[in-house]
Amino acid sequence: MRYVRLLWLFFKNSLLVEMEYRVNFALNTLLSVLWLGVRLAAVLAFFVHRPTIGGWTLPEALIVLGLFNVFSGIIDAVLRPNMDQIVEHIRKGTMDFILTKPVNSQFLASLRVFVVWNLADVVLGLGVIVYALGRLDFRPSSAQVAVFAALLVAGVVIVYAFWMLLVTLAFWFVRVSNITELFSTFFTAGRFPVTVYPDWVRWLLTFIVPVALLTTFPAASLLGRLTATYALLSLGMAAGLLVASAAFWNYAVRHYASASS
Amino acid sequence: MYHIEVRHLKKYYEVHHKAPGFWGSLRSLVRRETRTVRAVDDISFTVAPGEIVGFLGPNGAGKTTTLKVLSGLLYPTAGEVRVLGFTPHERQPAFLRQITLVMGQKQQLLWDLPAIETLLINKAIYEIPDDEFRRTLDELTELLELGTLLTKQVRKLSLGERMKCELAAALLHRPKVLFLDEPTIGLDVTMQAKVRQFIAEYNARYGATVLLTSHYMADVAALAKRVIIIDHGHLVYDGDLETLVQQVAPYKVITVTLRQSVSPSVLKPFGHVLAANGVKVSIQVPRGTTSRVAARLLQEFAVDDLTIEEPPLEEIIQHVFTGGIREASPDVA
Repeated sequence: MRYVRLLWLFFKNSLLVEMEYRVNFALNTLLSVLWLGVRLAAVLAFFVHRPTIGGWTLPEALIVLGLFNVFSGIIDAVLRPNMDQIVEHIRKGTMDFILTKPVNSQFLASLRVFVVWNLADVVLGLGVIVYALGRLDFRPSSAQVAVFAALLVAGVVIVYAFWMLLVTLAFWFVRVSNITELFSTFFTAGRFPVTVYPDWVRWLLTFIVPVALLTTFPAASLLGRLTATYALLSLGMAAGLLVASAAFWNYAVRHYASASS
Repeated sequence: MYHIEVRHLKKYYEVHHKAPGFWGSLRSLVRRETRTVRAVDDISFTVAPGEIVGFLGPNGAGKTTTLKVLSGLLYPTAGEVRVLGFTPHERQPAFLRQITLVMGQKQQLLWDLPAIETLLINKAIYEIPDDEFRRTLDELTELLELGTLLTKQVRKLSLGERMKCELAAALLHRPKVLFLDEPTIGLDVTMQAKVRQFIAEYNARYGATVLLTSHYMADVAALAKRVIIIDHGHLVYDGDLETLVQQVAPYKVITVTLRQSVSPSVLKPFGHVLAANGVKVSIQVPRGTTSRVAARLLQEFAVDDLTIEEPPLEEIIQHVFTGGIREASPDVA
């Protein structure tokens, strides 16, 4: 309950800060639309000469793209800004204030600021998914929607935990933007269903950099194509990564030397 | 029962040593040379509830490191530390709820928002009930003379105003133990005095234990009866500030403004002449004889003004660091 209230306060504060930059809001939304256009064009280009890629038709692939948009919105709205904050906290030593508060320090450090406008990507992404379902003339059953929702949540947890594992390295290296850039490179592979890639890439994107679990898996579940094993794999990965990121964070905090004086 | 117990605390750091210049950087990429810094090297002390203790020492003496160990930010290399009965580095919520850390050089206030927003976040973090929050806020507003500062954007506040809000944010949960690291740094003299007065009031009102580091001796002299002096990670002195002054500097300074200037040699018999600046003369006199010498001065010269002062604390501390305390303090290990 306390954490929900805090989250709401952080969100509200971020909104307050951004209200001051209204032009920014307009520009950001415009950019979101433009980016979506670029991504759409890239997917469409693949379908010019073939009816399916990797066994997915165009509207089906659009669901994957929509999910990609949702997650890139979450990364830009939540993960990236908080990473910048964490790096700043470590560089300036203000992490001290976070670590001396009687709440979970990882929570306090990683969900503090939101670039609210970037959530437009999430809305646009969901819009694309709804549109694609319409094009397919497919109404998923409520069970499929439920599994989809669960996998979406699992995806959010996975991307958060994975990202945090990388950002926690900042306790040692301070600058970590290169590492997260590397993640972003892998992440762009998530625009397409993983079945378009060779086996070893698919394996990499499922188990090492779990991008497939963010986009392809939930999309497949919505279309009723995902086996229970894979759904459970996704949930298991989410739980495992979350535990791992918390453990790594605590380990890092113990080694935190707190900069300057 | 002590609020703070420190026994044989040691905190060593490994630091990477890098030769200057490009080649140095390159070489350190291949082979890192590390050096152990003994920031705190075997320090023991205890602090009773409600006590204000001044923590003194030159830069790099280990003051901040000790405060960080006490507030749970750093793991001690060796030794035992207890604060309010807790082991700080376990950072148990019940422990963190009762302490606070204020650092003059770092701020927790959100830069782009009014300070009240940070206070509201802290209210949620410490789960302070509404009525208690309002009461504490009223008290802090009164003590710190916050007025309407809380609703102004933090980046538009002056340094002193920001420090006041910073203190309000740090004390909202009425901590029992305060760790203040240079709380008055960079503030002007009036603001320093106000912060100092506030700390004294807070201590008196809530019986909070205060451990304070400062570069400004005036802070320490005004607040702390007891001082702990550390140098190079070692404890050099722990005890009464007054006793220290008497031991290290067994003299006072008499400054007289004479109606007409006299030759310094005439003043020699009164004591060691520190400065003779025309009609204004400063003489260093042994403590016990101060009033007698002053009386004689008034008798033998036409005096416009006469003051008796303690030697500046800076000088005393300097004296301690250059080894003057070794024979003076009974606490030297």
